[in-house]
Amino acid sequence: MAYFQYDCIVVGAGGAGLMAALYASRSASTAVLSKLYPTRSHTGAAQGGIGAALGNVEEDHWEWHMYDTIKGSDYLGDQDAIEVLCREAIDVVIELEHMGLPFDRTPEGKIAQRNFGGHTRNYGEAPVKRACHAADRTGHMILQTLYQQCIKNHVTFFDEFQVLDLIVEDGVCKGCIAYEIATGEIHTFHAKAVMLATGGWGKCWSVTSNAFTLTGDGAAICLRNGIPLEDMEFYQFHPTGIYKLGILITEGVRGEGGVLRNNLGERFMERYAPTLKDLASRDVVSRAIYLEIREGRGIDGKEYVHLDATHLGREVIEKKLPEIADFVRTYLGLDPVTQPMPVQPTAHYAMGGIPTDVDARVIVDAQNTPVYGLYAAGEVACVSVHGANRLGTNSLVDLVVFGRRGGRHMAAFANEIDLQPIQDRDREKRVRDQLERLLSGTGKEKVATLRKEMQKIMMDNVSVFRTGEGLQEAVDKLRELKERYQHISVEDKGKQFNQDLMEAVELGNLLDIAEATALSALNRTESRGAHSREDYPERDDKNWLKHTLIRRQEDGSYCFDYKPVVITKFQPAERKY
Amino acid sequence: MEVTVRIKRYDPEKDGEPWWGEYKVEVDETDRVLDALHYIKWYQDGTLTFRRSCGHGICGSDAMRINGYNRLACKVLIRDVAPVITVEPLLGLPVIKDLVVDMEPFFAHYRAVMPWLINDEPPPPRERLQSPEERELFDDTTKCILCAACTTSCPAFWLRGEYVGPAAIVQAHRFIFDSRDRGAVQRLEILNAPDGVWRCRTIFNCTNACPREIEITKAIAEVKKALIFSRL
Amino acid sequence: MFESLAARTAHQAERSGNFELWAWFFMRVSGVILLLMVLFHLFWMHFVIGVENINFAVVAERWENPLWRIYDLFLLIFAWTHGANGMRYIIEDYVHAPGWRVTLKTVLLLLYFALISMGAYVIFTFRAP
Repeated sequence: MAYFQYDCIVVGAGGAGLMAALYASRSASTAVLSKLYPTRSHTGAAQGGIGAALGNVEEDHWEWHMYDTIKGSDYLGDQDAIEVLCREAIDVVIELEHMGLPFDRTPEGKIAQRNFGGHTRNYGEAPVKRACHAADRTGHMILQTLYQQCIKNHVTFFDEFQVLDLIVEDGVCKGCIAYEIATGEIHTFHAKAVMLATGGWGKCWSVTSNAFTLTGDGAAICLRNGIPLEDMEFYQFHPTGIYKLGILITEGVRGEGGVLRNNLGERFMERYAPTLKDLASRDVVSRAIYLEIREGRGIDGKEYVHLDATHLGREVIEKKLPEIADFVRTYLGLDPVTQPMPVQPTAHYAMGGIPTDVDARVIVDAQNTPVYGLYAAGEVACVSVHGANRLGTNSLVDLVVFGRRGGRHMAAFANEIDLQPIQDRDREKRVRDQLERLLSGTGKEKVATLRKEMQKIMMDNVSVFRTGEGLQEAVDKLRELKERYQHISVEDKGKQFNQDLMEAVELGNLLDIAEATALSALNRTESRGAHSREDYPERDDKNWLKHTLIRRQEDGSYCFDYKPVVITKFQPAERKY
Repeated sequence: MEVTVRIKRYDPEKDGEPWWGEYKVEVDETDRVLDALHYIKWYQDGTLTFRRSCGHGICGSDAMRINGYNRLACKVLIRDVAPVITVEPLLGLPVIKDLVVDMEPFFAHYRAVMPWLINDEPPPPRERLQSPEERELFDDTTKCILCAACTTSCPAFWLRGEYVGPAAIVQAHRFIFDSRDRGAVQRLEILNAPDGVWRCRTIFNCTNACPREIEITKAIAEVKKALIFSRL
Repeated sequence: MFESLAARTAHQAERSGNFELWAWFFMRVSGVILLLMVLFHLFWMHFVIGVENINFAVVAERWENPLWRIYDLFLLIFAWTHGANGMRYIIEDYVHAPGWRVTLKTVLLLLYFALISMGAYVIFTFRAP
């Protein structure tokens, strides 16, 4: 058991965490705590590209990017934050290139850009080439480049440290408590500022593109500390995940010209989105696929459709889409050059999360009251730039833009204040006791069984299409699962590398997040973006043009609060593609 | 179908020596070795410990020896290795527990080659230009996910852990041949050491082991050539 | 511990200069040369002279031509240097105990010079009786 002191602590070493650490470390002592080795973070799985209005291939302006993002968010995104995102995107992509990111290049030697779903020129006129890419490994390149820069700048890393709790007292964050996975020791990290960059929670669902380690740790810790989570009902299902495996097939395939076909070989997106067709926004495409499958036009009547890239030619696929060609060949034994790929919507991205302002400071209400010293960036945060639905390539921008802003702000903040003493000296002991309970429990419930039941109810009732009845059923089931969670026993009783224990902790986080998601979805009686209610199929701006804040109270019950949407340049309109 | 999985187990808190565990698992046609490992951990023996994250060959967490060859467990289809699958931790790195090895020596070699862009010239206001042909020169070695399959499959590395290893050379290559980098001389000097690139005996195990199909031996040869020609 | 490993590797680079670089280069170049020289030597011995005809007199006659002596000298130097360096690599790879490494490499070095000198001496000073 050790005590560490730093000015700034970043939890999570993906794109947002590494960018924040890079910036914070320039002027403040900084440490990164990550439950994985940094290069294992899920940013590395992002394929398609990072969106910025560089205008290298076609004319482009950040105002167009801003409009596309706002429309893509189904008008729930905060427009001031989105303006920051789109403006700074250009500068941040160039900065990444200066750091060495090996982008693909145009013949003139500039960063290459391609089409991507939802990105248009001239406010929705036609698709525009805005996605800056490095083959179909853009996320991998970003993660590697940022890690390289952190190594160069001697950023301190605590690898394979799982953060179990925050230290928040009287509205001030003073650090966190972490578990050293290799030894089983619990340590206190005392700091002036902590940033949570722990990623999403796709593992709440059974078919997901997310890694096994994406279990909503940072968000769950906030929930348990009485910090509200924002817009939890908005979870994106990416339209093209490999059937049954959930592994993502990048939107870049459709960007290069791939099309979706049903049982009849029809390019059905022409019916659902006449202008952008297969490059419409993800929620629109996911719903289209679901509807086709429901109406019996899935391939062989099964629950998937075809993503057809056969007309692109071997050259394009091998050069521009080598990763997905590899996935499909490895996992399905199919060759995308000659055969269409079976795809279904897969749980992919959390638009909601820990509410923050544009400097990544965590805020707790409609008045933007901050938790001093607490920051959040990346998928775990909700600024909100993605509103009710995220456009492709906008997540990578989100990570680096707000990671950078957060890193700067937290270092400046740390340099202004003194280290606050920790009042509650028993916190570490309480965390240790919780772990002890899990370790010594003699209950009959197994982590794997509870997790599977949770994933099933979430996939059935809280996915692309939802009903009040189904959501209530999910809420009840999750409550039952949380009760049963009190009676689990962990088989591995050791101290060193106890993955069994960590999975139990992660399940606790997943259950909390799943509950918040289902309750928020039940609460919002309209359909908007990725949240589709069959019992409330229309968008209801009069009653619901606002962000949901769900907070857990001391007694374990939940209450809702709301935050207005910031509207500056674009008034909400009907969303058609 | 049913398969038998033999796993080399070791618990530092309980075992003096590694031992073999044998498990029977019921699997689907499309399952990977990782799915079998998860099944064993979740339903048969919760103490089984292994690293994994993305589950589709991109993070590099689950590199291990499967039927004697270094592979990523999430990329090996069970039907290709059935009916008896032998799973062991990577060689050449200290075993911490079961299939988890100490990656510190591997990452130390990685850091030793200065794996970041070195260019102190003031950058232009927009991106530095680079032609598609220049980009192509180092494309292969950008794919490296630092999974350690190559370095831990190299007999030269097994015999001498001070050898910087194929992965570090690949990372250095990625920068040496990047037209925007100005640190080639420094990195080549680091790799010129006896435990640098010259310990490579052109065995080719690395190229076989790489899950990203990087032509590692070729990249190492290109570095050797660069060194020779820079001295001629 | 592993940061010092990096420092040691860098330090080694300073100390040993380019010896390993040239050793590696030599192996490649001499390998190709040896391939050609040995094949030619075999060809000459088998098809021109005929192996069953080789005896002391034949060798003495051959070595009357200084060009053959020079050829055989090069063959000796390339083959034995290439081979000895290869043996050095094997010792480097497989012998870990520092005492044995030094001993074996010293013995190899002595053997190298001994045999090269003996061979060169024979080639230069051989006189047919």
